Amino acid sequence: MAEEKYREETEDDWADDNEDTQKDKYLTFHLAKEDYGIEIRFVTEIIGIQRITEVPDMPDFLKGVINLRGKVIPVMDVRSRFHMEAREYDERTCIIVVNINNTSIGLVVDKVQEVVDIPESQVEAAPEKARGKRSRFLQGMGKVNDEVKILLNVEQLLYEEELAQLEEIAPAA
Amino acid sequence: MAEKLSSEQKEIIQEFIQECIDLLDHLEPTIIGFEEFTKQGPFLPTLESVPVMDEVFRLFHSVKGSAGFLNFSFMASTAHAAENLLDQIRKGQQPMTNEHVDLFCQTIDFMREVLGYVAANLNDRGMEEPARVLASQLQAEIGGGSSGGSVAGQAPAKAPAAVAEPVISVPDLAITPELVNAFLQEATEQLQEVEEGLLVWSKDSENKEVVAELFRKIHSFKGNCGFLGFRDLERLSHRMETVLDAMKSGIAPANAKPADALLNLCDVLKNSLADISQKGQGQIDGLDLYLELLADFIPGGQDNDSSVQTPRVGEILVDSGVITPETLFEALDIQKKPLGEVLVGMGAASLEQVDSALVEQEKFKGISGGEQAHPAASLKRPDIRVDLDKIDTLIDLIGEMVIAENMLIHSPDLAGLVLENFSKASQQMSKLVKELQEVAMTIRMIPVAGLFNRMTRLVHDLARKSGKKADLVLVGMETELDKTVIEKITDPLVHLIRNSMDHALENPEERLAAGKKETGIVRLAASHEEGEVWIRIDDDGRGLNREKILKKAKEKGLVQGDGSELSDKDVSALIFLPGFSTADKVTDVSGRGVGMDVVKQNLNQIDGKIDIDSKPGIGTKIVLRIPLTMAIIDGMLVRVGDVRYIIPILSIRESFRPAAKAITVSPEGQELVRVRDRLFPVLRLHRLHKITPASELLDEGILVLLENQGRNVCLFVDEILGQQQTVIKGLSEYIGKIGQVRCVSGCTILSDGEVCLILEVRGLTDIAEGAD
Repeated sequence: MAEEKYREETEDDWADDNEDTQKDKYLTFHLAKEDYGIEIRFVTEIIGIQRITEVPDMPDFLKGVINLRGKVIPVMDVRSRFHMEAREYDERTCIIVVNINNTSIGLVVDKVQEVVDIPESQVEAAPEKARGKRSRFLQGMGKVNDEVKILLNVEQLLYEEELAQLEEIAPAA
Repeated sequence: MAEKLSSEQKEIIQEFIQECIDLLDHLEPTIIGFEEFTKQGPFLPTLESVPVMDEVFRLFHSVKGSAGFLNFSFMASTAHAAENLLDQIRKGQQPMTNEHVDLFCQTIDFMREVLGYVAANLNDRGMEEPARVLASQLQAEIGGGSSGGSVAGQAPAKAPAAVAEPVISVPDLAITPELVNAFLQEATEQLQEVEEGLLVWSKDSENKEVVAELFRKIHSFKGNCGFLGFRDLERLSHRMETVLDAMKSGIAPANAKPADALLNLCDVLKNSLADISQKGQGQIDGLDLYLELLADFIPGGQDNDSSVQTPRVGEILVDSGVITPETLFEALDIQKKPLGEVLVGMGAASLEQVDSALVEQEKFKGISGGEQAHPAASLKRPDIRVDLDKIDTLIDLIGEMVIAENMLIHSPDLAGLVLENFSKASQQMSKLVKELQEVAMTIRMIPVAGLFNRMTRLVHDLARKSGKKADLVLVGMETELDKTVIEKITDPLVHLIRNSMDHALENPEERLAAGKKETGIVRLAASHEEGEVWIRIDDDGRGLNREKILKKAKEKGLVQGDGSELSDKDVSALIFLPGFSTADKVTDVSGRGVGMDVVKQNLNQIDGKIDIDSKPGIGTKIVLRIPLTMAIIDGMLVRVGDVRYIIPILSIRESFRPAAKAITVSPEGQELVRVRDRLFPVLRLHRLHKITPASELLDEGILVLLENQGRNVCLFVDEILGQQQTVIKGLSEYIGKIGQVRCVSGCTILSDGEVCLILEVRGLTDIAEGAD
């Protein structure tokens, strides 16, 4: 019941939300030793870890699918997306449900922290040096007081391979 | 008509188009049926054929009427000419020939074309040329019969009364219940619109546009009534029309405000329609009074013939001087509540006065007798139009409900408890939910009959054009398919039928030479098979040309070697390969490729599959296999390791625990199991999906024998958990984007809320086949 109520409330809030109030707001979460952030406008909800049904023939980072109130959504392990060491899920492990282009996807993270304001002036471009494979996912580095949050580009996170393919095709055409 | 049309006018035109298309779809097969009559040469109407002709006659007539009101003069004039021609034939003034049938077909085509044009441009001005050609052809056939027939470019002119005045011939026409139903539906819609229009008008009496529109609507309503012989309705609506005409041309008496009175009359018309729907004659009690009432609004007045029967409460109150006419009209404005109540509310009349008026009205009703047995019976409409989105939402919700119900009934909290009342209630609930599910599924489904009927026309035309003889046999017309699926398979079907007619069927001479019947047969059949709907297109023509296809495939490098090892089925499948035949021709007549591309693409969009099987000289069989979209299937729940799967029950032939000695291993390592003299390949699901099973030993698990299109495989699983209703859900689109899942067609949610994959039997048999 309590959960139900909570959801109703948040949904009410959502109705009032517009682009402006979501601007510069990031949901931050913890992964290995670092703090990461994703734009709040992509986030639909946060749920505790639940049983994931594996789907065969999928890349490692795609853990499988879960039942989100009757909807079947895929779940991605962000650790394994970044080729980090796998870690047992515990009670702090969360699934952040994001929605991009009407597709819902769950992101498994070590623990969710908070929503923070990071104005554009506080965001730096990702360091030049890190333009390796991983940096594709980066949107920038956000500074909050003396901490640094790694801001992720959710779209890249989901469709990196596909987008990369498109880029390869584009110059050729 | 002005260039700028109001949104309401556009709506009318759209409705008109829809209505016409429905009519045309319905009648096209009938017209083709005429061909039966003319097969033996020119034909004079017989007792059986006249009702059929009447039906077509009515179609042309109603199209003419509607098109006329909307100023689509080219369409109207063509319909008029066709109507005249048919009338002559019907009356036996001239025999019907093949040419006539073709001409009628052309007319239907032309009308469709005009409708398309109208849909795009909201007028039919661009259709002058084809209309003139067609009308003159029709006129030529009519011959000396009607000198006054209209020429294209004019609105339907007054033709000789005997021909153009269908009301006179009404007694001859068989008015079918369907016709009456269609009329009722249309008339109710029209009245609804009139009512809305009147409401607008009563607020804005200067609005001439509304009046003009009302006039047109009432006019077409009148036309329909007259056509079906409902004289009272016709008379009353005619008078209403006259009033509106007077208002329109501004010759009505000053400060006359007939809107409210007309609104009142709309109710009278509605009651009458309700009476008709109850199999009555639509007689209107107190018709003369109503006519008289309206006469006040017409300059010059009308002769009064007062035989009062059932006046309305308001009129009685006016008569007895309790209220003034103005008060009455005002009250009618707020006619949501019963009139009496409103009057009391307005303080215009006391409760007692209204009551006594009501008593008086009852008395009048008593006098007028049983004619109006169900005056309050509202008109029943057999259907409503609903937004598809709403239906989809409903269906989704019901799917959720099935899952929720499963979760509830199989709740682990209940395990081990004996709950007599609960299980009774839950059984009841299960039954209801299942019924609800079935009903919901049927909502989106429509029979393929409409689609198939359209093919009749296609075959007829193609046969005529190519000089071939062909019969189209339709089977399984009642098979239902999702509406969107029907839309998607229309084009493929047209292409496939065209192929059969153009390429597969031989000329009569060739057929005779090959020892076949002169008339070729194209069979179009729909049926439910293996949880899918199969649409088969079979012909008994010459079959695909294996040599030519192979040659082309070799040129393109699609086939290595000489291809002699390929089966006929494999060769046939080549024609669907992308780009296979688009560049060149497969047969000498025309390119088979482009059409096949469309077929393949459209089928892919609905997850359908196509199988083709052709035997040279004997014929070609094509099967379109279409999944039931919104499917809830019966599934068998199995377990491998700690993973559960659903297998569609329809594909399961049997399941058994194999004896160790029934298993043979081939030199390549393929395991085979013998089931009553037959050997089937074994597929270990745990290897396929990389799961740790409870046991690797075949004789410690269960083998499930699956069948798909004559191909079998034995699937090795740990155990069978049970059978259950399964709501199929798609795996997320995202999964389709980042990888291909083998042998999984979708997923479902189990009673414990966990997601469970559904196995695709076809994929499994394919793998087994590949392993052979």
